[in-house]
Amino acid sequence: MSFITCQNLTREYKKGDAVIRPLDGLDLEIPRGDFLALMGPSGSGKTTLLNLVAGIDSPTGGSLVIDGTDLAKLSRNKLAAWRSKHIGYVFQLYNLVPVLTAYENVELPLLLHDLSKRQRYERITEALERVGIADRADHFPRQLSGGQEQRVAIARAIVTDPDIIVADEPTGDLDKGSAHTVMQLLQTLNKELGKTIVMVTHDPKTTEYATRTLHLEKGRLVEAEVAA
Amino acid sequence: MQLTLNQRESMNENIMIIGTGSEEGVERSQIDAAVEGIASASVPGLKERAGVVYASAEIHAALPVRESRSSTKDLNAVMRGVRPIAFLVHSDVEILEGRAPRSGMDEIMVGQLAATRLGVPAERLAVGSKLHFDNRDWTISGRFAAPGTVMNAEIWMPLTDLQVATKRESTLSCVIVTLEDATFADVDVFAKSRLDLEITAIPERSYYASIASFYGPIRVMIIVTAVLIASGGVMGGLNTMYAAFAARVREVGMLQALGYTRSAIVINLTEESVFSAASGALIGTVFGILLLDGLAVRFSMGAFALTIDAPVVFTGFVGGLAVGLVGALPPAVRCLRLPIPEALKSV
Repeated sequence: MSFITCQNLTREYKKGDAVIRPLDGLDLEIPRGDFLALMGPSGSGKTTLLNLVAGIDSPTGGSLVIDGTDLAKLSRNKLAAWRSKHIGYVFQLYNLVPVLTAYENVELPLLLHDLSKRQRYERITEALERVGIADRADHFPRQLSGGQEQRVAIARAIVTDPDIIVADEPTGDLDKGSAHTVMQLLQTLNKELGKTIVMVTHDPKTTEYATRTLHLEKGRLVEAEVAA
Repeated sequence: MQLTLNQRESMNENIMIIGTGSEEGVERSQIDAAVEGIASASVPGLKERAGVVYASAEIHAALPVRESRSSTKDLNAVMRGVRPIAFLVHSDVEILEGRAPRSGMDEIMVGQLAATRLGVPAERLAVGSKLHFDNRDWTISGRFAAPGTVMNAEIWMPLTDLQVATKRESTLSCVIVTLEDATFADVDVFAKSRLDLEITAIPERSYYASIASFYGPIRVMIIVTAVLIASGGVMGGLNTMYAAFAARVREVGMLQALGYTRSAIVINLTEESVFSAASGALIGTVFGILLLDGLAVRFSMGAFALTIDAPVVFTGFVGGLAVGLVGALPPAVRCLRLPIPEALKSV
């Protein structure tokens, strides 16, 4: 049984009288430990699929089952609780809180868990060390480079030890060197920690780090290939 | 101002005997100088100590005074000509410095807020300095306080001196008597039975209450202005809250993506807002106390001191917290109504 199962997954929006369907009856299975890259032109539905997997959007048709949980059946609060346990989200623009230090930003998701201050400290330190930025723990986002900010964001995504990491164009705002570092980091998380990663990207080079790349167009899969 | 006109320790037991038809302004009142003696002898039960009846013959006059003989600028002063008995009748008057003025020596004494009433610095009315009116220099022999009363902004002088200065040697403005066993009705009956004297009795509290009612429309205007200013503050606060929250839509989306519930975020944003508003209210209160408490303000009857007391502080503080609370909820709810994917795309 696959870890993530999408069956006839559909997402529709109404805009005036028109119905927009960014995701149109998608069938997809993602095994545990997969590193899946999603590519496609703008409006192809890749970010919509990512948001549905992350539990921040709800399908209007079909089903999405992750590790035996049908996300469509969860209430809003239960879905939020599910996200805090199972999902680590890496945003294109990092989304760090500017008035908090790197340490405090990484601590944010842990505040939703029943952990002591000591336990939080240990987890944050471990996460920051894993992304190689422990020496910047006391720095504010404005004192960090883009690559460093994204590494803090990745530390925030992994600090709760989620099963799935979703990354929305994680290198979209980075230079080539920083992008390489971030992608290596995601690859390591996938290979060493067995994290299931679903990543949206426009950059074909980043797909080289994934185990699989899927192309979407008009809300449907058009081809699949396994990365080298 | 309301407190100044209404709250006086001795008011409850003092009755003013003034000229009939002068109930709206004692300055216009003219009664025979003999009323003092006739009232003392005719109304039983007035307060009396050591054979002295508490009946104060007084002249109230608004006179232009000048800082010196060479000065050309007239300052509007509220003068009261009194005898020493006035210090007993007006028990809330206390001499702070110097002594009471002596008759025939061209001496005056000034109230604590007299400088504010005249619009001159307080040190200009120090004991020993002079003021010029009635073609003479008058030496300030003392300073007195009558907190929370119109007397606090007056200039007091011997009755006979003011009678000469105002050229009304045989008349008074009023006689103020203090009741002990007598009631207002006793004084009223006396006034009504002596038609020849053309006098009216009125409780001192009622007199000043009627003066205060004259300021009613002004008070309404002040309240309306204050409400408008406060509304402006609330609107400004709401606008600031909306702007501050609009800039944080993406952050709110991020928090939801991490697993924070909407209610947790609303509570957090409201706490932040209320804390900010409380800090602002606290700073405002401190500035209010430091800059405004005790600040003297002039009005036609004299001057009064602004009071930042516990109810004012409480009202200001609660108002600030209300802005924090009311200001936070609508923009917070508005923020959270956006679907998370849209919030994350927000710039």
